[in-house]
Order: sequence, then C-alpha cells, then structure tokens
Amino acid sequence: MDEMIPNEEHERALARELDAWLAGDHSRRHVLAALLGIGAGAAVLPATARAASRAGFLGRQQEQLLEQAAAELASPDTPLGKAQADAVAASTKAPTDGSAYRAVAAAKGKYNNVSLALTYEAGLQALEPRNFSGPLWQQLTGMNYSVVELAHPDLYSKAITEHIAGSGAYDVLDIEPAWIPSLANGGVIAPVDEYVKKYMNEADLNDYHPLFKYLPLYKGKRWGFFDDGDQLELYYRTDVFGDPKLKSAYEAKYKQPYRVPTTWDEYSQVAQFITDQLAPNVYGAVHFRKFGSPGNQYAFCQEFRVNGGVFFDAKTMQAQLATPAGIKTLEQMIAANKASVPGNNDLDAVAAWVAWLTGKSAMHFSWPPTGRMSENYSQRSKAINFVPASKIAGKVGYAIMPGKNGEMASGFVKAISADSRNPEAAYLFAQWQSSPPISLVRVMLPYTLRDPYRISHYTSPIYRSLWPSAKDYLLNLANAANFGITDLIMPGWQDYALTLDRMCTAVWAGKDPKAALEGADAEWNATTRKIGVDAQRAAYQEFLKGVACYPDHTVDAMGQAVHLT
Amino acid sequence: MSGGIGAHGLATRAARRDGRALLATWSEQHIKWLLVAPAIVLILAITVYPLGYSVWVAFVNFDFLIPGHAFVGLGNFAAVLGDPVALHSVVVTAIFTVADVGIEFVLGLALALALEKTFRGRGVLMAIFVVPLFIAPVIVGQFWSLLLQRPFGPMDYILSVILRHPVTISWLTEFPWDFIGIILADVWQWTSFILVILLAGLAGIASELHEAAAIDGAGGWQNFRFITLPQLVPMILLAVTFRLLGAVNLFDTIFMMTGGGPGTSTYTTAYYLYQTGFQQFHLSQATAGSWLFLILVSVAIFLLVRRLLKVEEA
Repeated sequence: MDEMIPNEEHERALARELDAWLAGDHSRRHVLAALLGIGAGAAVLPATARAASRAGFLGRQQEQLLEQAAAELASPDTPLGKAQADAVAASTKAPTDGSAYRAVAAAKGKYNNVSLALTYEAGLQALEPRNFSGPLWQQLTGMNYSVVELAHPDLYSKAITEHIAGSGAYDVLDIEPAWIPSLANGGVIAPVDEYVKKYMNEADLNDYHPLFKYLPLYKGKRWGFFDDGDQLELYYRTDVFGDPKLKSAYEAKYKQPYRVPTTWDEYSQVAQFITDQLAPNVYGAVHFRKFGSPGNQYAFCQEFRVNGGVFFDAKTMQAQLATPAGIKTLEQMIAANKASVPGNNDLDAVAAWVAWLTGKSAMHFSWPPTGRMSENYSQRSKAINFVPASKIAGKVGYAIMPGKNGEMASGFVKAISADSRNPEAAYLFAQWQSSPPISLVRVMLPYTLRDPYRISHYTSPIYRSLWPSAKDYLLNLANAANFGITDLIMPGWQDYALTLDRMCTAVWAGKDPKAALEGADAEWNATTRKIGVDAQRAAYQEFLKGVACYPDHTVDAMGQAVHLT
Repeated sequence: MSGGIGAHGLATRAARRDGRALLATWSEQHIKWLLVAPAIVLILAITVYPLGYSVWVAFVNFDFLIPGHAFVGLGNFAAVLGDPVALHSVVVTAIFTVADVGIEFVLGLALALALEKTFRGRGVLMAIFVVPLFIAPVIVGQFWSLLLQRPFGPMDYILSVILRHPVTISWLTEFPWDFIGIILADVWQWTSFILVILLAGLAGIASELHEAAAIDGAGGWQNFRFITLPQLVPMILLAVTFRLLGAVNLFDTIFMMTGGGPGTSTYTTAYYLYQTGFQQFHLSQATAGSWLFLILVSVAIFLLVRRLLKVEEA
C-alpha cells in the first residue's frame, strides 16, 4: 500500500510552501515541486513516483503537471500573480467557510482515483482548465481531470449523444444557459440544489450579479453555476467621439448632439456620418454578420425587443417576427451594415475584432474580451496572437448598448452531467472553479474568453489595476448586466436561433425583409409544432417569469440593479 | 505391417480414415464460410443492423426535444417533403452536381488529351495536378474560404490588380458568387480525378487505330470524334459515375466555406441532413430524409451503372 503523509503534517507542509512562495522566497517551480512531493498532487501518483519526487527526481507525469501548471502562475508581484496567490490561499488556508476552501476540503483525499472529464469549447476556452484550474485542482485534491475540447455547437450535441448512448463520458459540462431547458427536460444535466445546500457558502451565491445568479435557474431548480459574463456592450473610440471638428459638423447637419448613440436609429446615423467623414481610414462601425459568426441571432433579438417586439403570442404560440418591430429591426440592421467597414457582412467575430483593433472602426459592440484586447492586455499571451496588437489602446470608451438593453449573448454555465459516475466530485470541482477567488483569476488570465460575472470581479482592486480604464470597463459591464436581456431560454432555442441567422444572412444577401420575416415565422411555427404547442406554451410562460426576458423585466426594472463605484 | 493387428484394429483404422476423409471433405466444402463468417458478422453488425435500425427510426419519433419514441407512420417523411429547405437542398445539390461534374469532365478531358503525349515537364505538371486529390476536402474548404473571404482574402485584391479597378465581391455571402466559389473549390480538387482516369483510358487505345485512320485521311477532329471518344466511353462513364457519387454528397466544402448560407441558399442535401440530424437533433426527420435521398440517388446511379455495364458488354 502507498505510504500516506499524516493530514496535519500535510497541511503544515503545504502552508509552509505556500507562505514561502507568497513571500517570494521560493520560485514557482520549487513550490510546485514541493506541493507534488508533499502529496497534494502526488496522492494520485504511484508510490514510486512520489518517492522519486521527494528524492528530487520527478516522474514524467509530475514533470508534465509541473510544466503545465507553471506556465500559468504569474509572478506574485503582478496583479495576476496576486490573484493567483489569493486563490491558492482561499483554497487551502482561509476563509474556511468560503466555497473554494469547502470544496477542496470535501474533495481532498476522497476522490484520489477519480478522473473528471470536463467539456470545454475548443481553443482558448480550454486553455484555462488545461493550464490553471485543472492542474491546481489536481494538486490541491489529488483528483485527476481531462479536458474534452469540442466545437461550440458540439458542447450541446455531444452532451446529448453521449447521454443517449448512456456512456457517462462527461462529468462537468460547459453549456449555454439557453440550453438548460432542453438539457434539463432531456435528463442530460442534473440539478445541484442539494449540493449547494451542503457545500456552498450562501454569500458566494449572492456574490453573483443578480442576472447571472438567476440564469442557471429553471423550473425552480438550479442547474449549475454561471461562469462567463457574456454581456454585450458598446466599445467606442474616444478620439473620434471627442473630435471637435466632427462634433460641429454633425451638430450642424443633424441639429442633434454628437455623442455615443443611445438608440439604434441614432447608432446607424452616427455610424454613417463617421464613415462619410473619415472613410477609408475609419468607418462608423463593424459587426460580425457572417452566417454562424455567431452574431445575427443575438443582434436581432436585442434590437427586436428594444423595438417592442415579442417572440410569440403567449396564447396561440404563433411567432411574432413578421411585425412592424421585426421590419424596423431589420431596417436598422441594414442601415448599420451600410455604415460599416467594407465586407462587414462577411466578417465573423474574430475578423470584426481585427478591424476594430487596427483602428478601422469608431464603434463595435461585442463580448467583453473586446475591452481587454483593446488595451493590449490579452495580447501579452502568445495564445491570443491571432488578433493583432491594438492600435487604439487608451482611446477606448465603454457604454451600454444603444436602446439600453444589450443581449446577454450566450454565456456559459458549468453543469453536472446526469450520467456522471462521480456527481459529487464533479459538483465540488464546479463549485471551486466558479468560486470568487478562483473565478477572479480565470476572468483575469490574459488569453481568457471568460468574462466577469461576480460583484467581487467588478469591484476587484486587482482587476481594476490591469489597465488605466479597467475600472470603467468593469463598472460598465455591471451596469450593462443591470439592463441586459437574455437569449430566448426555452426548448428549441437552437432551432429558433438557426432560423434567425438564416433569415438575417438571407436579408444581407438581398432578400426582402418582410418576406424573410414571414419565412422565419413559418419556420418558428414549424419548430413549435414539432416540439408541441402546449409544451412550448408552458416553456414560454416559464421564460416570461424569468428575469431579463424583455426590457420591462430587466434586473434594473425588477429593482435589483447593482450600483457600484 | 505388424501381424499383431486384428480385424477389429483394421476396422478401427478404416473408420478413422473415413472420419478424416469426411472431415476433410466437409472442411473443403465449408471452410470458406468459416473464414468469411467473422467478416459477415462484422458487416451485419456495423452496416445491416444500423440500416435496419434506421428504418425503425424513420417511422417513430426519435427527437431529442420530444420525449418517447411513438410510432408516427409516414409523418417523418411528410415532414421532410413539407420542408421547403429540404426541397431547396435537392435543387442545390442537383445544380452543384451538374456544374461540378460537367466542368470537371470538360477540363479533365482537355487536360488528359494535352498530357497524353510525353513532353518535357509532363511529370511535374502531372504531380501538380494530382496534389489536390490528396488533400482532405475540409482543408480544401478552409483554404478556399481564406482565399475568397472578404475583405481579408486576396482574391478581390488580385482581381482588382488584374482588372485595374476595385473589385468588391462577397464570394461567400452573395448569390451567385457563393455558388461560383464552391464550384471553384470543388473543380480545383476533383478535376484531376477525371484527368487520371481518362489518361489511363487514352493510354489503352491501340495506336494502330489512329494510324489506320491517318492512312484513311482522317483529321484531328475526326480522329477524336470517331476513335478516341468511342474508345474512351467506358472510362468516361466510370469517372463520371464516381464523381457523381462524390458530388451528390457534397458537404465538407459547404461546411467550411458558407455553412449553408447566406440563409439556406447553399444547403445541399447532405448539409441539410447533417444540420437537421446532428445540430438540431431531429433524428427521425433526418433519417427519413436520408432514405428519401438514398432512393432518389439510387435511381440515378442505377441507370448510370446499367449504361456502364452495357458499354462494357458491347
């Protein structure tokens, strides 16, 4: 049998090493080697490997772990390093009633032979568990893990196919909040309420922005932890909007103030004006409008609801897209496209970032990584060198979306697979990973595509120190979430969204908006009939009960807005 | 032989000999079945069983969003036939198939005729032409997508330089350029398939036929029209049949270049079935669609193969 280190001795040795690292006495490599030797990670390794580790000869597996983890631990004197030190301390020392500490304490030594399979969107999203939270969790608890990288649509489809096959292939699933009804009804994911009661500190649950605290709820149960604040906001060039010549020219032409637009009509008008004045050097805006980019469904849904549109007649469940609100929305989007960089309709999200970062556009609404890339914070990581260095650093302002209500476009929830053979272990990992101190690191990693979603993220002095206007960025994100509206969270969202994307791209290619909307209505009705009108009526009622379904149900409208300074 | 063996012993030996002979005879007659049995079981398990299972799926509800597997009769087939996107995808598939195979045949034949005789650099040219065949279609799709994407792809810039005026074609998002872009990618990859087969066919034509025709005063066109083409027909039918089989399944390049868009304008049947089955999880509808499409394609392929066999018999 393997020789075990007594628990108290283990704790003391672990604390000594961590203190030494925080004090800067030991190198990261030394600390990680010591952690492995102490047994935090080595608990899962063969005795011979641990013996070799203690003797100073690391096994190949340990070396790999070391290299993997070492890659992401920043120097303790950097903001990221400080956040990482806090995360490790919160997992091992204090506060002992924190969700991070509780998860580690509950998992440590109990699941040495368990390996968790985590689904992640392939690429940058998967780097984080590969390089930071995965290895750290392994070292802290002795639990193994594997990251299963999947294309975004396959995060949904593979979860279902493995469930149908009953393979139990996955433990922790990264899913969109809008998929929760389908996956919950289909028995793919399991509710976590019992575990929350048992292991989570309620203060950490209340640390979520109210919008994101609400999102994993469905039919009165919690189906995981929100984990990615994908709130759309408007990024604009302060130099272009601060230009006195442009200001006077605009005000002379339109008899209106030259400002960051607050309505969608104003948005396309200002964008067109800037294009007329500054193209080909700078255009008014840039969007990701290519089929599957994926932007059309989100852009349409937010503008449509701001224009007073409703998705369905709540009684008959007939689709309500081909209405004046729908036509107005498409007309506004066409006007915005015309005012944008050439080839706007051919761009996906990354290509739109390239245009924005190279200074070709005065406005761009997108996901929060835009703010970090704009200040060249993200580009310090080699992993994100597929976007160019920002030419607009220090010239970027942040605003909530025109029309006030921006889409909380997609996002991620960490859910527990109903087929997991180790649901409690999977839960503990998810709780730890999304806990305040750990999640703060994860939303701060330069290459991360995970975005702030906790009050403690928005108010973190460490995050606010990342670049000069980081505080404004965080405050605006929190405020945007106050007014944010969610995707259509109900079964069939995949089909409804696909229809919207098809409709929009057909219109960009020249199809008549009214005919396109009528076609989309027909497709939505077919989808509703296929799933069942009564079932969908009940699901829509559930959606209507939720926070942020429409502009009159936002967090702000419900009196739960978070006002931060 | 030892004189100690009695009648009983002899009888036993004879019985053993007979037994071995019987076993040998049986083995000779049946060993082939034993040898192929594992393969047959494997084929039954991985093809026949799923095929039978798919028949069941086509007649029941097998949709992730709808609980249970209730029998729905022809409902899934009706859903496909009533779906305008499905019907549109059949038309798009027909357009791509005819355009792709037609252009590839004309170009492949022309290249085969040009490369029939040996000349300096022929080997290098052949290698260049054949390289695309070894590239996975999904890579071809990505390559052409990068080449054609506006505004960063170089195609518009190159055309602007050549034509000396700005070219702003949205190759992947506007009709008819999206069709042209996909056909370009397919022709780039598969023309050499036709070329290789037809070149082999040309090499098989006896030179005496051309010599005899020359003595009779036949010109180049007459030579081609009355000797080369008729001799080449079996190979042409073979190449076209294989390409048709590939073209009707066009998926990878569509997936990478347009994702079926804009709207559903470049949805082929294969893409429609993938989208319906594996993205939207309407598995029973997708399965019913697969059967309908299989029947449709089978008729076309059956006619082609029958024609091919007739030519071979002749």
